Amino acid sequence: MHPEKNNSSAFEPKIIAFVCTWCTYAGADLAGTSRMQYPSNVRVLKFPCTGRIDPVFILKAFQQGADGVLVSGCHPGDCHYIAGNFHARRRFAAFRKLLEFVGVDLQRLQFSWVSAAEGGKWVDVVTDLTETVRALGPMTEFKELALEEQWSGALTTPELKEAYLQI
Amino acid sequence: MQTYISHHNFHTLLDTLITGGIRVVAPRLTAGTLLYAPLGESGDMVLDQLPRRSAKEAFFPVCEDILSYEKGGQQVRLTDVEPATFPVTVLVGVRPCDAAAIPVLDAVFSWDYKDEFFLERRRKTTVIGIACTTADDACFCTAVGLSPAETKGSDLFLTPVADGGYLCDICSEKGEALVADGSSLFTELGNVTPLPFASPAVPAFDLKKVKGWLDGHFEDPLWDGTALRCVGCGACAFVCPACHCFDIVDEGTEKSGKRRKSWDACGFWKFTHHASGHNPRDKQPKRYRNRIMHKFKYYDDKFGQTLCTGCGRCVRICPVGIDIAAIVAEIDGMAVE
Amino acid sequence: MNNTIDISHYAAIADSIRAEAARILEQGVVTAVVAYTTGRRAGSVQPVIITAAAEAERLTFTAASVNNLAVYLTKAKKDIPRSGRIGIVVKGCDLKALVGLMGESQLQRDQLYLIGIPCAGVLASTVRPAEALIAATLAPKCRECDAHLPEGCDYVPAVSLPSAPTLEPSYAAEIARLEALTPAERWAYWKEQFAKCIKCYACRQVCPFCFCEQCLCDRNKPQMVDTTPRPAGNTAWHIVRAMHLAGRCAGCAECERVCPMDIPLNLLNRKMAKELKELFDYEAGFAVHEKGPLNSFMEKDDQSFIK
Repeated sequence: MHPEKNNSSAFEPKIIAFVCTWCTYAGADLAGTSRMQYPSNVRVLKFPCTGRIDPVFILKAFQQGADGVLVSGCHPGDCHYIAGNFHARRRFAAFRKLLEFVGVDLQRLQFSWVSAAEGGKWVDVVTDLTETVRALGPMTEFKELALEEQWSGALTTPELKEAYLQI
Repeated sequence: MQTYISHHNFHTLLDTLITGGIRVVAPRLTAGTLLYAPLGESGDMVLDQLPRRSAKEAFFPVCEDILSYEKGGQQVRLTDVEPATFPVTVLVGVRPCDAAAIPVLDAVFSWDYKDEFFLERRRKTTVIGIACTTADDACFCTAVGLSPAETKGSDLFLTPVADGGYLCDICSEKGEALVADGSSLFTELGNVTPLPFASPAVPAFDLKKVKGWLDGHFEDPLWDGTALRCVGCGACAFVCPACHCFDIVDEGTEKSGKRRKSWDACGFWKFTHHASGHNPRDKQPKRYRNRIMHKFKYYDDKFGQTLCTGCGRCVRICPVGIDIAAIVAEIDGMAVE
Repeated sequence: MNNTIDISHYAAIADSIRAEAARILEQGVVTAVVAYTTGRRAGSVQPVIITAAAEAERLTFTAASVNNLAVYLTKAKKDIPRSGRIGIVVKGCDLKALVGLMGESQLQRDQLYLIGIPCAGVLASTVRPAEALIAATLAPKCRECDAHLPEGCDYVPAVSLPSAPTLEPSYAAEIARLEALTPAERWAYWKEQFAKCIKCYACRQVCPFCFCEQCLCDRNKPQMVDTTPRPAGNTAWHIVRAMHLAGRCAGCAECERVCPMDIPLNLLNRKMAKELKELFDYEAGFAVHEKGPLNSFMEKDDQSFIK
């Protein structure tokens, strides 16, 4: 399926999935117990509800090296806490617009509803996102940002080092 | 010693330094804001306005790494940042209010603890000051005992003259070395007319009298009166050329990361917040009081000078119009001999 | 096009404020009045809280009366003594913030005495407070103001609002310009802007809606946002700030005015306001909403972006 997977230097996307414990986590579990195959690129983090998933988690995931982020929970109407996913839906509708405005490629951020019975959908969602991100390449923006300094604090750039050595 | 450099030669001097691998830092437009920043070419330099942030960041950066850590198994590996790697720098276009703050910072960073980060940058930096010809009503350098022609803190001091060139006063060995290196660019002092200096309108404070009042008025209705409206941001301290408080934090993961030093401000609620939850400066006026006390009393107690050079930056940018010059003038008016 | 903004009625407004503040303090209608007074610098104006009728003569209103005084009524300003009803001078944009705070149960209408200003506009910046108010120095928010006359106030000076020149809205144009760029170009733009940030938190401290007892960014267990003023932590901070204000920000643009690094912060807020209007048909205005767009929902909300 992925011949380049054998090549150790090939890009393997790091996908962080924030999922609700009641639906998507159970759905992912079902995929596992049903021996369905899906990319091992995904790291699953379990939350009580999508309503608990703060947009800042997504930001943090990107900052700490995620190439793609998936947020997944119960279908509308199925929330264990009645309305957590409805609130999450609005919050993420707004948040993705904000991320888009500051220049994040929204193809790296996927939202989905995966129920406890939808092991197959979990596999599809994870596979699709992994392949999309694989095609996009590594998410470099936040990583590069982490290396940047205000000029006054910068000292280890190669050019400056070189300039210093020449003196 | 005085000499002269034409406008063209001054730019040539800077460009020669840049191409020679020296970092030349000067006021430059950065994303629409005038800040001190390294120049790519001398033409980017803007000298007709006071930069929004002061020159202190050339020695005391907004944020700097001091060490990095890496955890492997039971071992934690620490790597110090080596100040020897700091680049040799020429800091250009520093107005007297910014330049005079540098010796003020020297005193703090070489007092009980020798801050090698500050001192190494200081050693490697030559400061080219420039006399000030424009002031607004936020400026008050003359009120705190300085002047638009003050050479304190400068290694080489330029005074703009009518033809666009500059009179150069050599104020230190570093300045002398810089002139010697570019000696062909400097010429004999001809018949030149210096541009008139700026004249800030705020009358001089009697700083000893002000300190005398502060000595006895830690508790005073003045603090509530002037600072109840303070919203508790750090803007005044961060644009100040002389404020020097910093915070140290570790950033990263449990596996690896950096220890960093960054600017801090006494206006912040968190500044004196104890781990216990107690906060000795529990109200904003107490925090603002510290700002005045530190500048006009504590620093004077310790080092015999004032921690304010009258640049007026805090006056211009305070979100709620707190005017340090007005406050000190008020104290000056109240003080009794 | 007429370049100057007619603010000839501000002198009459200032007189009315002084008289009304004196009256309500004198008669005990309020215990304090939050208003504007003059500063030392030519043209400068600053917030003031007065508690005695005799102090009312210090009050003023000019083109430099930029502050949104609503911030002094939030619980973030615990030091302001609060007993009884408080009078406050509000421009239309400031009133929207007060209304938002009422919706969030932070303030009660009957505890306030609102002195509304028929406002023709204020300065964009107070770095040079004596500047004349012309199109170029006018606050960008005033170019697209729909709230020159605050509604529902207890007192509004009886002056007529001069006709204002029609000016192109600048936020909408700038948002459209940025939206037309590629994500990489937008990232580059914001990266440059956020790199200037020094984390002085002036944007947070002047914001009437940033009234959290402890800001997420001041907490370190967990440390969700890096505290150091480096490009990474700055970007995270400004994204978090914009997100926390989405659906709440009423557009007083104080964050942008006070930013000592000139970061166009209100662009983010206006962008979010625009999106929330499109998505959920919500707009901050003079009517108290019990629920904002992000703490309410409808079953039929758009979910086309969700798989």
